[in-house]
Amino acid sequence: MFFRMIFGTLVRQWKKMLMIAFTIALGSSLATAMLSVMLDVGDKVNQELKTYGANITVMPKESSVLSSLYEVEDGGTSGAYLREDELGKIKTIFWAFNIVDYAPFINAKVTLDDGSETSAVGTWFNHHMELPTGEMLDAGVTSMRSWWEVTDGKWLDEQITGSRNVAMVGTALAQRLGLKSGDTFHVAGAASDMQLEVIGIFDAGGEEDDRIFMPVDTAQTLGGLDGKIDSIEVSAITTPENELAIKAAKDPKSLTISQYETWYCTAYASSICYQIQEVITDSVAAPVRQVADSEGAILEKTELLMMLITILSLIGAALGICNLVTASVMERSAEMGLMKAIGAQNASVSGLVLTEILLTAAVGGSVGFFAGWGFAQIIGQTVFGSAITMRPVVIPIVAVLVLLVTLAGCIPAIRMLLRLRPAEVLHGK
Amino acid sequence: MKKRQMYFRMITASLIRRRSRMLVALLSIAIGATILSGLVTIYYDVPRQMGAQFRNYGANMIFTPSDGSFTQADIEDGRSYIESADIVGVTPYRYESVRIHELPVMAAGTDLTQAKLTSPYWSVEGEYPSGTGSLLLGASLSEQFRLFVGDTVTVSYTPEFDGRSEDETILDNTIDLTVAGVLETGGPEEDYVYLQLSDLEQLTGKSGEIDLAELSISANSDKLRSYAEKISSSVQALDARLVKRVTESETTVLTKLQALVLLVTVVVLALTMICVATTMTAVVTERRREIGLRKAIGASNGGIIKEFMGEGMLLGGLGGIIGSVLGFIFAQQVSVHVFSSSITFMPLIVPVTILVSVAVTGVSCLLPIRSATQIDPALVLKGE
Repeated sequence: MFFRMIFGTLVRQWKKMLMIAFTIALGSSLATAMLSVMLDVGDKVNQELKTYGANITVMPKESSVLSSLYEVEDGGTSGAYLREDELGKIKTIFWAFNIVDYAPFINAKVTLDDGSETSAVGTWFNHHMELPTGEMLDAGVTSMRSWWEVTDGKWLDEQITGSRNVAMVGTALAQRLGLKSGDTFHVAGAASDMQLEVIGIFDAGGEEDDRIFMPVDTAQTLGGLDGKIDSIEVSAITTPENELAIKAAKDPKSLTISQYETWYCTAYASSICYQIQEVITDSVAAPVRQVADSEGAILEKTELLMMLITILSLIGAALGICNLVTASVMERSAEMGLMKAIGAQNASVSGLVLTEILLTAAVGGSVGFFAGWGFAQIIGQTVFGSAITMRPVVIPIVAVLVLLVTLAGCIPAIRMLLRLRPAEVLHGK
Repeated sequence: MKKRQMYFRMITASLIRRRSRMLVALLSIAIGATILSGLVTIYYDVPRQMGAQFRNYGANMIFTPSDGSFTQADIEDGRSYIESADIVGVTPYRYESVRIHELPVMAAGTDLTQAKLTSPYWSVEGEYPSGTGSLLLGASLSEQFRLFVGDTVTVSYTPEFDGRSEDETILDNTIDLTVAGVLETGGPEEDYVYLQLSDLEQLTGKSGEIDLAELSISANSDKLRSYAEKISSSVQALDARLVKRVTESETTVLTKLQALVLLVTVVVLALTMICVATTMTAVVTERRREIGLRKAIGASNGGIIKEFMGEGMLLGGLGGIIGSVLGFIFAQQVSVHVFSSSITFMPLIVPVTILVSVAVTGVSCLLPIRSATQIDPALVLKGE
């Protein structure tokens, strides 16, 4: 009988129930969309911030003290180098998955035909690698120099050019030498000299505009530096630093074992640096403060902003649902009065109302959940051009929220119903 | 006159007598309006506030000499082309090779108060030098020379040979400075020693020359580009260049962030407005009996619609006013908590919020009222 009554209400009053379900669906879709976006926004913005380039640099321990800010250095004379054959190991550390991209750099001093000297930088552009773990990997500076504007020709790709002697030339140098893409020019290094073919001209808006960029082997041949690397730039997704990370960065040994484990297993810039030092012989890995700190600050602000907006919209959705549930239950006072007049207990009347509303809420809530997931994807695709990852934690949060809000909406209405005097209601007061 | 008085009396009386029900409706409209005004305020303020965060990345424009070096006056000249509200910091740099413990070291003479503004990412162990007589030592130099915070160091400089008699020995200029702090950046700055420009000028005996100036300007890349062009063409001694890495990336990220807030605002607003509309519809629908009664005693459809709409819009207006105030408070709280700065009040948002809430409540009342007026009063009064 109970179920028949509920079923009867749902069928006969389908319009009203549909409206409640609709409002609950709207509320829950809002909650779902905002929660999913909020939980994923950190990762997404972090990806975007990678356009600032590397946030960790790896240098040899005994690197020259006098490498300079405005590139007055004479190109890799320090005598300390990293080993090229160890580069693959970076992708084997604990946080390998967080390393978005990385590239080695080797500087060689070269002399041009007009007698002027410049720096030839060997690096990876789109380097293909087979890792010791059997995985394949493509890495290089293309994504780490996203602000470079290729004004002529295209990005160098060593997988296409193969063993040809090719280079990308900075716009300032190209202008001075009158080079265009496709031209060849002669350079003499410390160990050998060769003709280089220009693949592209780039505008970096900085000191790099005066340099020649080429594949690692080419630069090594020019400088006679086989198997040697000056520095590695690593672009990694990191967690903003906290007190533990700052303490650990000073001296990992000062931590207790459990602190050490927490630190080691969190993607702080300092713990990733530490892990890189473990795999690369005689290296010092340091976070680039300019990038790492700013990333942390911006990430934190964005996450906080999204969280506050989410809370506001959750409150909005909750109050909206509450309102409507209260209004629609109160509306049925005549029906409830009649039930009480023919002898229904308070408990069974409340039970009836609650079950009806909760059933409606369950339907509305699940429809809303999927709609909200859709909204989140629309936001992800439009803003970041990639899907928003659905966190399983969103489902229980939304479910509990919808349940609580609906119950909260029912309480004042039910209290009113209990206070009803059947005679008054039926009289139509 | 009388008629209008009666009209207002009916509207207000209805709102007052049905207090609890109307409070529910008012609450829902006010929430909608709060979300509207709050989110729109945030949306407009985000680029400014976030832009300030992005200044963390440091200088986005540099002045280089078009030939040789330039002076402080040239910087002031170039600076005058930039709106002063946009300027976060301007730092002059002069580089000289000096010696510490008889080893050559690059020294940068600068205005360290400004440097803190243009390079906020510098992490200094110890104190930031405030006046003259102290210096900031790069971390790798600190390690190399075993010099730490509080130590005193003698910096020496060999003046350039100025063509006086050749056998006269040129004595080194020296200056004693305290290491106020050790600078960590993870970049090439760690190999430099930073001291006040006046100290460096005293040490070298040459003043007025500046090699480079870093500027941190909070503006988008188009505006920056136009500043750079204007300065390069108007100030002879200067060559203004953008730090492409910073400006380009900032534009990319900021555009995405603003798009994100916009989309979120639109989605939240659309959903909230529908919520408000359904609540209003529910509130009006339950008054079908009243409508029927009025019709039975001779009210015209137009009159009923007018009266109900008046009520709805009054609610809408009230909700809008409450919402604009709450929305501003919300936006202010967000701004203080997230960006720790207060928000700019935009007067335009208040009328817009009120208009939108009046319109939304109006439309959501109109539909159910119209369908209610079309039914037969007898049927409604009989109870369906």
